Amino acid sequence: MSTDGRPVLEVADLEVHYGLRRRRRRVLHGVSLSVSRGETVGVIGETGSGKSTFARAVLGLVRASGGRILIDGEDVSRYSSRQWRALRRRGVVQYVFQDPLRSLDPDLPVEESLIEPLLVQGVGRKEAIERGRGYLARVRLDSELFGRLPGELSGGQRQRVAVARALITEPALIILDEPVSALDSANRVGILEILKELRDAGVALIFISHDLGSVAGVADRVAVLYQGEFVEVGATHAVINTPQHPYARLLVGSAPTLRSAAASRAERDALRALLHA
Amino acid sequence: MVRRVLALPTGRLAVGVLSVIALLAILGPTLAPHNPLGTSALTLTGPSWKHWLGTDYLGRDVFSRLLAGSRTSVLGSVEVALIALAVGVVPGILSVYLGRGFEWFTLRIADTLLALPFLIYAVAVTALLGNGIPQAMFTVGVLVSPLFYRVTRAATLAVARSQYVEAALISGASIGWIARRHVWGKVLPPVAVALAQTIGVGFVVVSSLSFLGIGVQPPAPTWGGLLASDLGYLSYQPWAPIVPALLIMATVWGSNLLADAIRDVSGEAGRALLNSRRARARRLNPAEPIPAGGAAR
Repeated sequence: MSTDGRPVLEVADLEVHYGLRRRRRRVLHGVSLSVSRGETVGVIGETGSGKSTFARAVLGLVRASGGRILIDGEDVSRYSSRQWRALRRRGVVQYVFQDPLRSLDPDLPVEESLIEPLLVQGVGRKEAIERGRGYLARVRLDSELFGRLPGELSGGQRQRVAVARALITEPALIILDEPVSALDSANRVGILEILKELRDAGVALIFISHDLGSVAGVADRVAVLYQGEFVEVGATHAVINTPQHPYARLLVGSAPTLRSAAASRAERDALRALLHA
Repeated sequence: MVRRVLALPTGRLAVGVLSVIALLAILGPTLAPHNPLGTSALTLTGPSWKHWLGTDYLGRDVFSRLLAGSRTSVLGSVEVALIALAVGVVPGILSVYLGRGFEWFTLRIADTLLALPFLIYAVAVTALLGNGIPQAMFTVGVLVSPLFYRVTRAATLAVARSQYVEAALISGASIGWIARRHVWGKVLPPVAVALAQTIGVGFVVVSSLSFLGIGVQPPAPTWGGLLASDLGYLSYQPWAPIVPALLIMATVWGSNLLADAIRDVSGEAGRALLNSRRARARRLNPAEPIPAGGAAR
């Protein structure tokens, strides 16, 4: 994979609304972000801040009501559903869900879920299984798990299968929605190591989380989403060391794993008061 | 699915009962020892070698009438179930995918059908379409179709909003692909349960309609019709309604057992049930080694 400077994803002034007429509410407002190859960007926000909506808009599952989305240089914001399907079949962008138990069909053996993107592309079954085994090894899973059902795997194994499924189309960009928050620490480290290898191989990653601490170790840049807007975008160390926006400061102050700055309770209360004012 | 149903004792029992009923339906009319419509001077006699189950108020052989009526009765209930299936399942799946207008429209139709008083509706439609078995079965089938509509819709909804369907969508799968690969397997078990249940319901309904004189016309025999005429002569033959009633009960019971067995073996819960049985069998049979650890379920 080439590591030229061209961004894999460019989002400019993205607007997303839910609901119709009087019940129409704005979920994302003026969101801009660009992600280059081999770069890892963390998107941090609390529940309801619009971080999942952001991911869904980039994947075409939610229609943008304004702004532009460029994937690999292609403007996809006005794409029809047929064009989206053609784009998705190329497997440029992939997605890893938070809960692997729900993102793998419980009635299909693991191999079927794993090779599904290839089968959709029209790859022959035999070849798809062959390639699937290779990717299973890449996420350090035994290929003897191939015939098992998702319910017969552990949580960590399931999430590895989900990551392998995202890798199988050799995407340029993978969006991960809290990929490790349902896992224990040993599995968490395992998955994060796999992600680091991917980044080194030139894949762009968007890491969505509500917890700054879990992203700080992997992300090159961090974007803080607050009430549908990016209130702070910058290099990870800059956001952690010198957060500007009150919400970003609150986030940094509330992350117990960040040694640099655990704010006192009084400081956090003051920041909250500032936000709600 | 079939093998899993047969692995359960209830499943085997249900299939056994229903095969006997099916055999009756196929072979019954040809096995009848007497003409089921032929009257004689021997009215309301008890069981004898010549008439195993006695004769009715017109001197007709009851055993022959039961055998001859089995085909109409069974076919009628199966027809009801199949019509309900066709009328209910297709809109049920489509209501999830065809947009809000279609969804609203079909939901209101289902509500209306549920609200209609069943027997009055049946009588009214018979007056409109004419009295005959197909008309009656069609009416009943349409009336019970909301069951299938609801069951299918609920199952499809659960699948359509699941993450693995979204994962397939993200990989570029078409709606047809998703329906074949992810939706069918989830929708089929509840529909099979509803089907088995409806066959039981259809039986009761066909019988009660014959009881009212709708559908099958006398002197043609059905189990429900036999029950009705036997009830008129209770003081002469108090035991007579037992046999047709038992046949109807056995069929309904068999269908419900089958429905239960299908429910028990489908989905996650079913797999767990079968696995626990297998594990118990393994424990009782020490020749087979027990895998260590909890990982191998």
